[in-house]
Amino acid sequence: MSELKYDVVIVGAGIAGPMMARDVAKAGFSVLLVDKKAAIGSPKQCAEGININVFEKYGIPYDKRFVNREIYGARIYSPSGYTAELRYKNVSGVILERKVFDKMLAFYAAREGADVWPRAEAVDVIRENGRVEGLKIKREGELLDVRAKVVVAADGVESTIARKAGINTYAPPHEFDSGYEYEMLIEGFDPDIIHLWFGNEVAPRGYVWVFPKDEDRANVGIGINSDNPKTAKYYLDKWLREHGISTNKILEVNVGLVPVGGFVKELVKDNVMIIGDAARQVNPMHGGGMAEAMKAAAIASKWTVKALEEDNLKLLQNYTEEWWREEGPKMEKLLKLRRVTEKLTDEDLDVFVQILGGTDLEKLAGGKYTEIIKALLKNPKVMFNRRRLSLLKELL
Amino acid sequence: MAGKKFRVVVNDDKCYLCGGCAGVCPTLAIEVGASKWRFIQEKCIFCNICVTACPVGALTTVPLEGEE
Repeated sequence: MSELKYDVVIVGAGIAGPMMARDVAKAGFSVLLVDKKAAIGSPKQCAEGININVFEKYGIPYDKRFVNREIYGARIYSPSGYTAELRYKNVSGVILERKVFDKMLAFYAAREGADVWPRAEAVDVIRENGRVEGLKIKREGELLDVRAKVVVAADGVESTIARKAGINTYAPPHEFDSGYEYEMLIEGFDPDIIHLWFGNEVAPRGYVWVFPKDEDRANVGIGINSDNPKTAKYYLDKWLREHGISTNKILEVNVGLVPVGGFVKELVKDNVMIIGDAARQVNPMHGGGMAEAMKAAAIASKWTVKALEEDNLKLLQNYTEEWWREEGPKMEKLLKLRRVTEKLTDEDLDVFVQILGGTDLEKLAGGKYTEIIKALLKNPKVMFNRRRLSLLKELL
Repeated sequence: MAGKKFRVVVNDDKCYLCGGCAGVCPTLAIEVGASKWRFIQEKCIFCNICVTACPVGALTTVPLEGEE
C-alpha cells in the first residue's frame, strides 16, 4: 500500500472543497482534493441560482462558460395566484452551469498547486492513538493511505467523513428537505427573473421553483419536507400536470436532500474541519447552499493557513468561533423566520403575498425583514387575526 | 416500528445515487459510492427514515423472517 503526505486533504469537490483547496494551496501548502465522482460537477444537486456579488467577494472569474443567464429579480406566487415581485435595474444573480462551475473551481485549485483526484472515494479515516491522521482513499480500485495534518470534510449532505471522524453532524429527518428537479424546455415564464410557488398542497414546507437558463429552458424543481409520506417527485409531477407543462422535453433529472433545519455546532474537532452542506451551512429560508459554502471555505482557509504557518493546529478552532460570530446570528434569524413560515396556512400565504405585492420586497430578500413584518402587522387582515398577529410578532 | 426488523433494498432503476439516504441515516448504515449503493444490515436500527426521505421513492423494506 502506497503512502502519501499532504498538509491538507479535502473530501468533496463541490463548492466549498475546491474554494478551500484553492486558497490553502495559494498560500503555499500542499493540498489534495478528492471527489468520488468521475466528472467533477456532475451530476448536479442544485437549482444553480447564486447572488451576483459572490464573484467579486470570493475572487471567482465571471466566466461566461459557467454563467447560463443573468437574473434581475424574483416573483412569488401564493396558492390562489396572488403574486409579489422584486425586480432590480441591474443583474442581481445568475443561473450557473454547475457542471462547468465546479470543474473550473477545482481547476483554479489545481492551478494554485493543489492535487485534484476525481473518481477517488474517501472510505474511512486513519485513526492512530485516538487522533485522525489522514484518510483511506480508494482511487480507481487502489486503496491508498493519505496522511494529512488537516482533514476537511466537504462531502455534502451525506457528511460521512465528519461522522466517521467522530463529529456529530447528525440531524433528524424533519431538518432536511427532499429535492427533485428537471432541467427542461419550458415556455411562458419571464426568463429574466426566478419564479417561486408556495402552498401546502403545492410544496409542503417548501416551494416549486423555475430558474431560467435560457428563454425557454429552466431548472424546474421542488423541495418538500423529507419526512413527508409522498415523494418530491410526486409533488413536482403534480404541479407540472396542473400547469399543463409537458414532461416529455426533459434534459436532466436532479435529485438530492437539502439540510435546512439548523447548523452543525462543532465545526472543528482537533484537526478535522467541516465546511458547506456537510456542516449543514445552508440558508434555511431558500435552501441555497453555495454562497454559504463559499463563506465557510473562506473562513476555514484563513485559519488553516494561519495554523499551518504557526504550526499550531489549535488555531483551527477559530473557524468555529468566527463562523458562529459572523454567520451564526443571521442564519439563526433566518431559521426562526423559516419556522414561522412553516406554520402558515394557504390562506395566510394568500393574505401575506397579496400585501407583499405592494411593499418593498428587497428588504425581505436581504434578511432585513422587520420593516416588512411591521407593514404586514398594520394590515387589517393581519391586525384582526390573533394567530397571524402572534406568528408575526415572534419575528420582531 | 419497534420489533419489526427488515432489510432496506434499493431499486437501481429509480435510484440516482444522490446520497440523501446516507445523509439522513442515524447510524451510517447506508454508503453511497459514485456507482454503488450499499446497505449495512448490522448497523440498521429499522427507523425507516431513509425510505421516507428518498426524493424518488427508490427504497423499500423487506422483512427479515426467521432471523434475529
